[in-house]
Amino acid sequence: MQVANRPSSQADGTPDFSVEPSVVLKNPSFHDITEVISKPIESKATLKWYIALAFSMMLLTLELVCWGLSFYYGDGLWGNNIPVAWAFPIVNFVFWIGIGHAGTLISAILFLFRQKWRNGIARFAEGMTIFAVMTAGLFPLFHTGRQWLPLYLVPYPNKHAVWVNFLSPLVWDVFAVSTYFTVSLFFWYTGLIPDFATLRDRTLGKDLVSRIRKTVYSVLSLGWRFSNRHWRHYERVYLILAGVSTPLVLSVHTIVSFDFAVSGLLGWHTTIFPPYFVAGAIFSGFAMVVTVLVFIRYIFDMQHIITVDILEKMNKIILLTGTLVGYAYGMEFFIAWYSGNAVEQFVFINRAFGPYAWAYWIMISCNVISPQMFWFRKLRRSVPVMFVTSIFVNIGMWFERYVITVTSLARDYLPSSWGWYNPTLVDFGLLLGSFGMFFTLTLLFVKFMPVVSIAEVKGVMDNARPSHHGGDH
Amino acid sequence: MELQQSQPQPRYWQSLDELKGTPEVLEAKRHEFQKGVTDGFDVKQMSGISRRRFLAAMGASAAFALASCKSYLDQGEVVPYNEQPEELIVGRPNYYASVIRTSHSATPVLVKTREGRPVMISGNPEHPFSRGGISSHAQARIMGLYDPERLKEPMQQGAPTTWTEVDGVLRKALSGLAGEGKQGLVLTHCLMSPSAKKSLDQLVKKYPQLTVHSYTHLNHSHRDAAWKKSYGQDAFPALHWDKADVILALEADFLGVEGDAEAERLFATRRDIMNEAVKFNRLYVAEGNLSITGMSADYRLRLRPDAQYAFVMALAQALGEAGFSLPGALSAKAAAFNLKQFNQTYGLAESTLKHLVADLVKAKGKALIYAGDRLSESVHLAVNALNEALGADALYDFTHPALHQHPLSNPAELQQAVAEMQTGKVGLVIHWGTNPSYHLAAMGYAEALKKVPLSVMLSTHANETSADCTYTLPVHHDLEAWGDYETHSGLCALQQPVVAPLHKSRQAEGLFLTWAASADAAYSETLYLDFLRYNWQESVYRQSGSLLDFQNYWRTALHDGFVNYRKSGASKPAYRAAALNDLVESKAGDGYVLSLHPAYATLDGEFADHGWLQEIPHPVSKVVWDNYAAVSVATARELGVKTDELIQLDVEGKTLTLPVLEQPGMADKVIAVELGYGRTQAGTIGSQVGFDANPLIRFDSATPMIAAVNATKASGKHRLVTTQLHHAFDVPREQDLHFARQIVNEGNYGDYLKDPHSIEMHVHKIPNITKPIEYKGIKWSMAIDMNKCTGCSACIMACNVENNIPVVGPEQVDKGREMHWIRLDRYYSGTPEEPKVSLQIMLCQHCDNAPCEVVCPVNASNHSDDGLNQMAYNRCVGTRYCSNNCHYKVRRFNFFNYRDEFAKAYYSQELAQLQHNPEVTVRSRGVMEKCTFCVQRIMWARQEAIREKRDLKGTDVTVACQEVCPSGAIIFGDANDKDSAVYKYQDHATSYKVLEALNAAPSVTYVTKLRNTHEKV
Repeated sequence: MQVANRPSSQADGTPDFSVEPSVVLKNPSFHDITEVISKPIESKATLKWYIALAFSMMLLTLELVCWGLSFYYGDGLWGNNIPVAWAFPIVNFVFWIGIGHAGTLISAILFLFRQKWRNGIARFAEGMTIFAVMTAGLFPLFHTGRQWLPLYLVPYPNKHAVWVNFLSPLVWDVFAVSTYFTVSLFFWYTGLIPDFATLRDRTLGKDLVSRIRKTVYSVLSLGWRFSNRHWRHYERVYLILAGVSTPLVLSVHTIVSFDFAVSGLLGWHTTIFPPYFVAGAIFSGFAMVVTVLVFIRYIFDMQHIITVDILEKMNKIILLTGTLVGYAYGMEFFIAWYSGNAVEQFVFINRAFGPYAWAYWIMISCNVISPQMFWFRKLRRSVPVMFVTSIFVNIGMWFERYVITVTSLARDYLPSSWGWYNPTLVDFGLLLGSFGMFFTLTLLFVKFMPVVSIAEVKGVMDNARPSHHGGDH
Repeated sequence: MELQQSQPQPRYWQSLDELKGTPEVLEAKRHEFQKGVTDGFDVKQMSGISRRRFLAAMGASAAFALASCKSYLDQGEVVPYNEQPEELIVGRPNYYASVIRTSHSATPVLVKTREGRPVMISGNPEHPFSRGGISSHAQARIMGLYDPERLKEPMQQGAPTTWTEVDGVLRKALSGLAGEGKQGLVLTHCLMSPSAKKSLDQLVKKYPQLTVHSYTHLNHSHRDAAWKKSYGQDAFPALHWDKADVILALEADFLGVEGDAEAERLFATRRDIMNEAVKFNRLYVAEGNLSITGMSADYRLRLRPDAQYAFVMALAQALGEAGFSLPGALSAKAAAFNLKQFNQTYGLAESTLKHLVADLVKAKGKALIYAGDRLSESVHLAVNALNEALGADALYDFTHPALHQHPLSNPAELQQAVAEMQTGKVGLVIHWGTNPSYHLAAMGYAEALKKVPLSVMLSTHANETSADCTYTLPVHHDLEAWGDYETHSGLCALQQPVVAPLHKSRQAEGLFLTWAASADAAYSETLYLDFLRYNWQESVYRQSGSLLDFQNYWRTALHDGFVNYRKSGASKPAYRAAALNDLVESKAGDGYVLSLHPAYATLDGEFADHGWLQEIPHPVSKVVWDNYAAVSVATARELGVKTDELIQLDVEGKTLTLPVLEQPGMADKVIAVELGYGRTQAGTIGSQVGFDANPLIRFDSATPMIAAVNATKASGKHRLVTTQLHHAFDVPREQDLHFARQIVNEGNYGDYLKDPHSIEMHVHKIPNITKPIEYKGIKWSMAIDMNKCTGCSACIMACNVENNIPVVGPEQVDKGREMHWIRLDRYYSGTPEEPKVSLQIMLCQHCDNAPCEVVCPVNASNHSDDGLNQMAYNRCVGTRYCSNNCHYKVRRFNFFNYRDEFAKAYYSQELAQLQHNPEVTVRSRGVMEKCTFCVQRIMWARQEAIREKRDLKGTDVTVACQEVCPSGAIIFGDANDKDSAVYKYQDHATSYKVLEALNAAPSVTYVTKLRNTHEKV
């Protein structure tokens, strides 16, 4: 049996598991790597890119229009009501924040664990984090009734002499999300500096575009000269930032889960929420990375850099986190039963068999059942299968937040105030539009910045040497 | 003082040198103002701008900058009084006693005005009948005053005209009637005012061709007619509801739409857990449709309304067997009936009937049978006989019997009048306040009206009838008018204007007097006032035998709002058994029976244009902005329809298609429809709301509102908007949650008497790891006595008016965005056939450990030292987290700027805005709101206490919902005051808190509802 990428020393071709497999295939030279990664940036944008950008900007426009309308007329344009005071916008917020989690996990935690395979995908995953958090951040900001007063959520000395309420998880959220965004941005940018320098040095044309390009890259690369000292500092900073980011991976979604867990609403009021939300976030984040990478590696001929091996490893994590999430679903039921709290029991039975059962079962089949395919190596390595599954996972994870948010609110303590939630067109517009924002940013990213880290990939190639200078072109 | 002296004086310094005290500085300081120090200054070398000029320029530019900032708060202008009215202090309300009338009632009220502007109508607490209780309709009248679509000037077929012209035309027409040999008609609703009656009399005297007809859908005609036959008197006595131990209500909603505040109040005195001297009464209700009274019943019998005659007879037979001496005619007729047989036919609970008979026997002398207004005269005759046999004498009050100033026209008379209009015999019709084209659609009134050459509508609002009238003339609103109302003989209420007429309207009675006077007499605003005073001097004052001179008597009456000039009444007249010869046996049909009811929200349609009333949920079904055909679950299945699906009703060829609502507790085969909906000319708010059932009224029948009907399924659907989800009886896990979750506690009265603690709600004690907050001084709390609450919803209206609650419209309610701060939760338990109804007033519980407060990121939701859960609107950004975390879901969010959003900003118009209570902020979009315990009233009371240099007491504050509650079910006060009522309620064995186990420590206490049944609950 010949397994791609795994050297086989045996005559019969069985893979040799004692040798670490190459992360990058086809044994390219450093120069080849630089060429491949720089190509999309340096060549003219293809028609496909323009079509994709046009489409996603259309969705972005939809989002802007929907935000504008909501701002002008009020939150009443959505389906939110009493009792379901939080619905689509909060679901979208948690969904996108979750998506953002893969980036930091891959770039920081896997970096600290010296997982070489992460180098091919880290850059993209980090970028995705930034964009996902940006997309997510708009929701809580505009979700309030008076969107022009977000500053009230920030503790600053003011003439009202009113401080924020530090007991409220929403205030924690403000800190958690903004810290996460800032650190992720720095981390991402730090990693980009050597690549910007590479791009700067490669930009030789004398035409106006080239000159602008050169100027921009020069500024962004902060005078990087690939010197040993630079590298040493860089590695230090990168390591420190990785260290700083690591707790954030866990803290952000923990705090987002506190928005729910700290409240007294049954179905939200659960101690399992922090780990469960973090697992779910990684789950959905990885799924989103897989969804997009499958395209990118194909479009930009990077199959040998973003190898099936890497994707397989991601799928394994999807399988793991999916199963964790499934465990959490089961544990919620168990605790509801074990607590002896009849209201809590009702909430969970109502979730699975009540009027919102359809959403619950979509969630279960997408999140728990669909990743189970990855137990099989063949399916795990099949690009079409992983693409479809990752889409399923994202659908499932969106529904998970929907189920948690809406079903718990719709039927709480007093049956007299039970209600029903119907999303409006504006709600759907914002949901679709948020994809527009995310993909517009992603598309601009893949066109103007190295979607794979040139420097880092070189570091994990078979011919990498400790003495390697990086600045090979 | 000594302490202050011992403290070191602070030292101020201008520079470090000064602080150190260098000699140069000390020297320089001495010369600061020395002559000649400025001699060395060369002004020419200095800047051309002096300090003064600089400051002036700065000031001017700042002023310009400010002038260009247009704030939305700056709109309009504030003009002070040129000459301040003597009785008015800006910022202090004035109260005036007056009367609010509807088509069938006149409620004595107290009107609160601010700076001359009426802002709230509440009941007159001094009035011996209502004692401050008031219906939601009378309160909602304030909305009509400021309705932007009120008639503003006289109109001739849609074009403005002048009063002078109107006077001329009408005088000519009235005097021309005789010459043309034609008749004139005056149509009005129930006439309750003696002076108005006299003014009409003057008109009729001058123009004898005029005939006056009055009618209303909400009448007691059958009851009164039967009373006259049985006792030879017109006046039906007032009832001592509080003295009856056992009450059997036959299709009678005496606690709801057929009753008044007095009935509710008196009934509630027999449900008073605090008064150990009185025992609970027992209420039996036999009805087809589930009414407010039916919800309050201890025993309820589901009975189709056309079987009431048979039921009364069967009951008579049973009572006869039990040893009561019945009049011969009754026993003879009742012999054919048998309660057991009856029971078999209608499937009533046999045990209930047994209890009923036994209780009636046992409570002899203190038992009352009360038949509903819509039942036939025969049923009332039989009921009179039964009451006579039961010895209900002690329950009648003849001091102030019910009184009509003008006998209501019976359907035959109205039919006759319409026929005469149709044949062209009528030359002139004057409508006053009523709307016959809509009400009398079954008689074809609208078509007949078109045959009348000159027709006039005197009204505050345009309506279906005015659309076909030659002249539409605006008359004063209740709050602009003079009047006197004597609905109960010997008790006359005075109506006085509390605001100058807002539009070019006139006093209707003044118009009659003007037209009745000589041709050159002009209308004046004092015309009717003088007439009224003269009448009072001649009649009321004389009869009262008051020792005051009339001027003072009148002033006192105006101040009090009423005079009670009869202290004792006649004794009960003798019963005439001969009346029973008029008994007409009526057999119940087998088919569907249509039962038409006046609507809880709009009565007979009069209030269709009052948005607040349309939005108050139906007390039973919780439907808003609509009417429907209520049917039992079995009947719905038989008809093949479900809730929201349409059925077609056919009464003798007259059809109506409307949606069905599966109403638990309905008698099978009964289709109950509310009148008062489907108006076409009720302005922006009231038009096209619901379905008009007036054409289905059978005026030719003994029971116009109850008729056999053909019902068939029709195609299509119509969504009925409710504030509570329809109860799913078929989902076991959703049953009885209100008991299982400790939301509602109920018990049996008998058990309570044996051991009050036996019905206590068992709540686990929750250990606190933190020290609970202690409230020193006042701790505001509320107690709600569910034994007294009937579900009339007057509290919701009071809250609306007091707290400027916006109308949001059916679409928003359907989305779950109604804005009411107080709501009436209704729970069913048992089967859909025989449901037990549990009500619960639900409002912000002002929890000591309020879950909403901890989650608010901006501290907009916080707690006061006296136990209020406060909302800082200005600080609220609208995250809505507080609502999510509220266990009671009583918080309301302004998803829109509702005043701008609803009905194209109908209630944003300048006139409508005048209705707002100036004490309460009008909340903008994006802000959360909820019950404040009427914090503005608390602050007012505190301010008064400080002004009077005394301590604020819990009893100084009456909250709006408490103020209007006819039965006194809401108690508010200081829980730290051991003598206060609210403390006693909190401390009572049967009191409990909703969801107490969650440890939110709510400040609202509920009293366990006790059902006075023989069996355990």
